[in-house]
Amino acid sequence: MAPLGYVEVLDSKGNVTERVRVDSFPIHVGRAYSNHVVINDPYVCPVHLAIERDEHEQLIVRDLNSVNGLSSGINGDRVPVLELYSGTQFRIGHTLLRFCSVDHPPAPTLIDRERKESWVASSYAAFIAGLIILLLLCLDSFLSSIERVTAARVVSEPLMTLAMLIGWAGLWALASRIVVTRFYFAQHVTFACGALFGFLGLGTLSEWLEFFFPVIPALWIAGFLGSGLILAALVYGHLGWASTMRRRSRLWASLLVSGAAIGLSLIIDFANRSKFSNVMEYTGIVKPIDAAWLPSTSVNQFIENTGKLKKELDLLAQKARATQP
Amino acid sequence: MKRNVVFLTLVLCLSMAALSSRAWAQALKATPEIFKRFSEHVVKIEVIETGSFAKASIGTGFFASGRGHLVTNYHVISKVIHAPDRYRIEVTDPLGQSTQAKVLGVDVVYDLAVLRTDRHPKGFLALEAKPIEQGTRLYSLGHPRDLGLTIVEGTYNGLLRHTLYPKVHFTGSLNPGMSGGPTLTHAGTVIGVNVATEGEQISFLVPAERVLALLEKTVRFESRPVNGFLAEVGRQIHANQERYLSGMFSATTPSIDLGPYTLPTKPADFFRCWADAVRRKELPYVAVTHDCSTDDYVFVSSEQSSGIVRFYHQLLSTAELYPLQFFTLYSGQVQVGNTAVFGNEEEVTPFRCQTRNVQTPTGKLKAVLCARQYVKLPGLYDAVFRAATLGARNVGLVTTLSLSGVSFENIEGLSRRYMETIKWRR
Repeated sequence: MAPLGYVEVLDSKGNVTERVRVDSFPIHVGRAYSNHVVINDPYVCPVHLAIERDEHEQLIVRDLNSVNGLSSGINGDRVPVLELYSGTQFRIGHTLLRFCSVDHPPAPTLIDRERKESWVASSYAAFIAGLIILLLLCLDSFLSSIERVTAARVVSEPLMTLAMLIGWAGLWALASRIVVTRFYFAQHVTFACGALFGFLGLGTLSEWLEFFFPVIPALWIAGFLGSGLILAALVYGHLGWASTMRRRSRLWASLLVSGAAIGLSLIIDFANRSKFSNVMEYTGIVKPIDAAWLPSTSVNQFIENTGKLKKELDLLAQKARATQP
Repeated sequence: MKRNVVFLTLVLCLSMAALSSRAWAQALKATPEIFKRFSEHVVKIEVIETGSFAKASIGTGFFASGRGHLVTNYHVISKVIHAPDRYRIEVTDPLGQSTQAKVLGVDVVYDLAVLRTDRHPKGFLALEAKPIEQGTRLYSLGHPRDLGLTIVEGTYNGLLRHTLYPKVHFTGSLNPGMSGGPTLTHAGTVIGVNVATEGEQISFLVPAERVLALLEKTVRFESRPVNGFLAEVGRQIHANQERYLSGMFSATTPSIDLGPYTLPTKPADFFRCWADAVRRKELPYVAVTHDCSTDDYVFVSSEQSSGIVRFYHQLLSTAELYPLQFFTLYSGQVQVGNTAVFGNEEEVTPFRCQTRNVQTPTGKLKAVLCARQYVKLPGLYDAVFRAATLGARNVGLVTTLSLSGVSFENIEGLSRRYMETIKWRR
């Protein structure tokens, strides 16, 4: 005989921990072993409720005068009787239950990433990412060398960086082996290269931005916000790989982690800025472009703007005078 | 006849030798005589930290009136001006008797101070502002490195030329501790006050006329400035600025050509300019520098000075480096030297900077102005203006103007005029 449905015991995250087949109604649910569904919860009565059909053949859950009663949904109100449909959740004591009829549609099938690996996860992707990063680092090393250099010297530092990056990916692969029983080494190399690519791109972009618009502290912003975003992307990607969290939860989690990291860096930055120093904080970035392309102010505007500088200094001096004996 | 001539020559030589040896003997005798006659008017000045009763600085002074007025350098007693509740002045005469002194007047520009003790001295040294002949023998008295009162012989070599503040060039060894001591003629009149040394017998004195001017002002009024001496120091520095800053970097300022740029040089006689170039085989670029600076400055405190105007140009060019490589070097040079050597939280605020790309009449440049304010001397600032020319691919110029202890109006005016003197040659 085909079952009529299932009573499912759920954990706090909504995952099924136990499933009891129902072949006929009424059935009893409670802590006593005589029940059809036995619940191991000290807040549940020995015979807590009955699932049965009413006079209109509607399935209902009925509280059998239990101590802690029956609640609809996860945090619903206490009710004596609840109409039951496929998928209805109800709570007794600290236990969440759900009834599903046999025709209840199951959740969509998840893709098994362990078997069907995407191209990002392949060793080829790791190799290509490593190669691109090496070439970019070599280019960066060449462009930042202001002395006559040999090819070996240009390559040596990027190779060292790449080796450190691979070592770093290896460490995380080891951690991954301990936590989720698989190494994922190639994936870690790809992601590490991706993150480095992000940092290099961000650095270059913010340098040009700061050169074009010196008023915007692009390097400073990129240092915090950009790094935070890269960190968020890393956390988001990792959670997608290693957990069953939903997309929105992953997004929130990654934003929370990066937000915390940015907040901490900002506090440290503020603390350092509050300390007295003889350093003139400015960025001296200049780039080789035609001057006509560059937005600029007039000499008069530059001098007029110094009024703000004076005000700021006057305020600082006032504060300093107030704190001195 | 021939024999007579030989005889006369011999007599002449002998008499000359006798005369010169007598002068030498006299000179040798003069120094102990001068020391004996005048040293009792010279005192040791110690600035004592009131918490530990330990000396914080020492110098020399001398009585300049019969009522207990003492002359010394401002820099000897500057700690008392900046923190009167933490320091006091103690004066010790050659007999070892100590007494306290208070400040009556200062001239921060010429590094002078007039003090007064309650004790009336036995006598005092007279000052004379009359010009004397170059080569005149002089005698300087002081307490070098607290080793006891010492007399140093030297010669008068006139007033320094091309200097912002007149100073006597004294060829003799002055050492730390002798600051504020008198330098006398053979007759015992003070012609200057020991103030600085550049080693190897090159020493400087504040001319007596400045001392007389301060003494006259101080002794006549004998009252403290309304807002205290620190405010008076600030007022004097403010008043002094106009004397040397107005007109600096005007249209008449001489210029030099460096690469494709025309730049200011030696704006006044009191500037000294130097140039150099780095052309090394192993380097794929050439750096040419031109550096001008005032020779003189006003001592404000051990960590502050006013009136230093320095500007330097650095032209970088390359025929080998790619533009992006060259600009890595160029950016580095714009950033280099962004830390001030002196400055602490008690004396100055931190720097604040403004950066813009600026269009001047002949080209574009990246301009940075950084400034900080003196905490104890309101209205006085240190500033660094730096500009880097833009637009070229293999040549660039970084030029820096640094000013110390000037008003913000002067910073604005000088930065503007300096920017306008940088020109692109077509």
